[in-house]
Amino acid sequence: MNRTPDPIITIESVSKSYGGVEALSEICVDILPGEVHGLCGENGAGKSTLIKCLTGVIPPETGKITVDGTPLRHGDIHAAELAGIAVIYQESTAFLDLDLVDNLFVGREIKKFGWLDRRAMEKRALAVMQRLDFTLDLHTPLREFSIAQRQMVEMARACLRDCRLLIMDEPTASLSSRETKTLLGLVTQLRAAGVSVLYVSHRLEEIFQLCDRVTVFRDGKLVATTPIEQLNRDQLIGQMVGREVDVLTRHKEHTERTDKIRAKITGLCSRGRFSKISFEVRSGEILGIGGLVGAGRSELARAIFGVDRYDDGEIQIDGITLKKGSIQSAIEAGIAMVPEDRQHQGLILPMSVSENLSLTILAELTKYRLLHHDREAERVQSLMQHLAVKAANAKMEAASLSGGNQQKVVLGKWLATKPKLLILDEPTRGVDVAAKAEIHRLIRDLTEAGMATLIMTSDLPELITLSDRIEVMCEGEIAGQLEGGTATEEQVMRLAFPRGEAQRT
Amino acid sequence: MKYRREASLLILVAVLSLLATLFDGSFVRDNTLDILINSIPTMIISCGVMLVIITGEIDISVGSLLGLLAAILALLCSTVSPGLGIHPYLAIPIVLTIGTLIGLGTGCLVVYGRVPSIIATLGLLIALDGAQDWLMGGGDIKHFPQQLRNLGTGTKLPINLIFTILVVVATGLLCRKTALGRRIYAVGSNRSAARLAGISEAKIKLFVFALTGLLTAMAATLWVAKLGNVSTSTGAGLELKVVTCVVVGGIAIRGGRGRLLGVVLAVILITMIRTVLNFMDLGSEAVKWQRAIEGVMILVAVTSDHFSQRQQSGGSS
Repeated sequence: MNRTPDPIITIESVSKSYGGVEALSEICVDILPGEVHGLCGENGAGKSTLIKCLTGVIPPETGKITVDGTPLRHGDIHAAELAGIAVIYQESTAFLDLDLVDNLFVGREIKKFGWLDRRAMEKRALAVMQRLDFTLDLHTPLREFSIAQRQMVEMARACLRDCRLLIMDEPTASLSSRETKTLLGLVTQLRAAGVSVLYVSHRLEEIFQLCDRVTVFRDGKLVATTPIEQLNRDQLIGQMVGREVDVLTRHKEHTERTDKIRAKITGLCSRGRFSKISFEVRSGEILGIGGLVGAGRSELARAIFGVDRYDDGEIQIDGITLKKGSIQSAIEAGIAMVPEDRQHQGLILPMSVSENLSLTILAELTKYRLLHHDREAERVQSLMQHLAVKAANAKMEAASLSGGNQQKVVLGKWLATKPKLLILDEPTRGVDVAAKAEIHRLIRDLTEAGMATLIMTSDLPELITLSDRIEVMCEGEIAGQLEGGTATEEQVMRLAFPRGEAQRT
Repeated sequence: MKYRREASLLILVAVLSLLATLFDGSFVRDNTLDILINSIPTMIISCGVMLVIITGEIDISVGSLLGLLAAILALLCSTVSPGLGIHPYLAIPIVLTIGTLIGLGTGCLVVYGRVPSIIATLGLLIALDGAQDWLMGGGDIKHFPQQLRNLGTGTKLPINLIFTILVVVATGLLCRKTALGRRIYAVGSNRSAARLAGISEAKIKLFVFALTGLLTAMAATLWVAKLGNVSTSTGAGLELKVVTCVVVGGIAIRGGRGRLLGVVLAVILITMIRTVLNFMDLGSEAVKWQRAIEGVMILVAVTSDHFSQRQQSGGSS
């Protein structure tokens, strides 16, 4: 990019504050036609606020945004849409009970004599899917699709709306490597077609692979917009955190792995989900479970924790067999689980940080049937300190914390129960770099203190550096074992892909 | 502001008192006790229904349930045929047990039968009402032993009022100071997160429905004791009044949010509206006014709730 074409979108000294806290301060960014523009920063840096300003969800307090030289009406979702700004959100905003066609055209239905023209819509839906190179059934309610598939639908929806700027907020956070690859290919295609993309991601590999320029925010302020060729990984991280950090520290020199078997899973089967799963986790050991999305990892986690029933097999903790499908008995046996979806399953967002943290230990805090508030405050305080949760105070709503801090609260809630086996399902998804490093440190410390840890993650560097051993799942079965630390990403992927497909990758 | 709802209810109570005082300088002195005593059944039942609504369910069968339980108590105690003339101290525990069991049954329908609570309790509302009519056989039941009447009219102390205050205090303690209370809110805020935290949604819901049944039975007892008369229309419409008070009191209809204090104030306010309108002597017009005012208040309460939630959802990134 030597000659600079006129930008399609110019953001001029835009500011926005929430209750005295500046979420955005004097931000200036321009986006060129046909560029993939990366947007990085820790959670709470102001990325989401900028997106909301661009899409008209909230009006900025000062500054202006122009599209092709025309000022955009602030705080008007419709105007932003008409100007060609589309967004794919982190959490899918689809209508789960409507089918694919309805979802694609909702708000922009094709009509004929005032009636819906379903045939025309179906035709266009097929055409756009073909262009994006995927096929999904037109008449299945979206609820039955995986998160990855729902995201594809959202992309197709954006494509249908002739957008100029597509904003993608952590689009790959919940995708497997293969799906990510498809999606990245898609972004490249969009760029070729002249659509600009504002790409928000914590996954630096993607930023380097995809983006032309990267803008970094820190604490609501613009740090820099830099062409990607002029940056390396450490410099980019440095810009984000304001210091150079060693994100993925090499794994500890193997701590003495005790021989005490904490958890033993034998021949676990659940029809349509997974089958013949057997492994052991020892005290002081981190066992990683790798695999593609849909390989059955989350389902396995849920079965072990007693959320779902399973058809056959046995789970033992310290030699005692667990009751099937009972969360209570899993908790009593000393299992804890940090679920995949922290907003809906991990936390009770409208409740305070303190209430969330003490939820699992209420029985301990009760005396003569009454809650002991002082003791609760004490426990909460020590947990927050231990986990370095950044919150003004414990009475804050959990909803107001950043993603990383929310995840620390979920983790803390379970650490309070002093678990024997901790199951983590995608523990650092959508979490910023610094919080991720802290969460990793915590997991290691706790495991060294004698806990057994089972971690399901799609983040390959995380899987490899954090785990002592790795089991890779493929289509509901264990496809192979690898040593943590020495395994390569290629080895994991080779096991993770179904046979036949592995050759091609 | 955290106590916005409570503050505005208090202001409304104050304004209404002032208005009434303009009509008659001694209104507050003469009527406060009356208003409190009139609010007793609604107050007691609201404590239960509030908890049900916090868990994300609803119970609209309490009006019929009160009617049925009042009829049962009347038949057991009444000294005149068809009454059985059983001693109240034996009859009351029977009625309390029946109330709890019916509440528990409602809970089972919702929890295990997976019937949406609005449908289940709507069915019960009608069925229990029918049962009441059948039991009563048309006529009013009167003539109760003095031990029972004492609970309602009191000798010197308003026993029924003291009892109600105890119920309110106990409910407050349950909400704020017990693990169970915390879990009730947790289930209503986010049932899947609550479940994953090892909380049994079934147990919590069975508890709140059963408690509502028990509280309704208590309210029925005090009702019979005070009025000394049970008819087929006893309890009719009470469920709507209770739900009104709970919603006006700031309990989110979707569950998870709201405080007892607001509900208590709402019960007092709504009972007061009735008294003040009667007092202003608008004659038969008063009844019409009252319904309209109650309706508008629900609308205001529900919409303000909606707006304050919208404000919050615009929160930070």
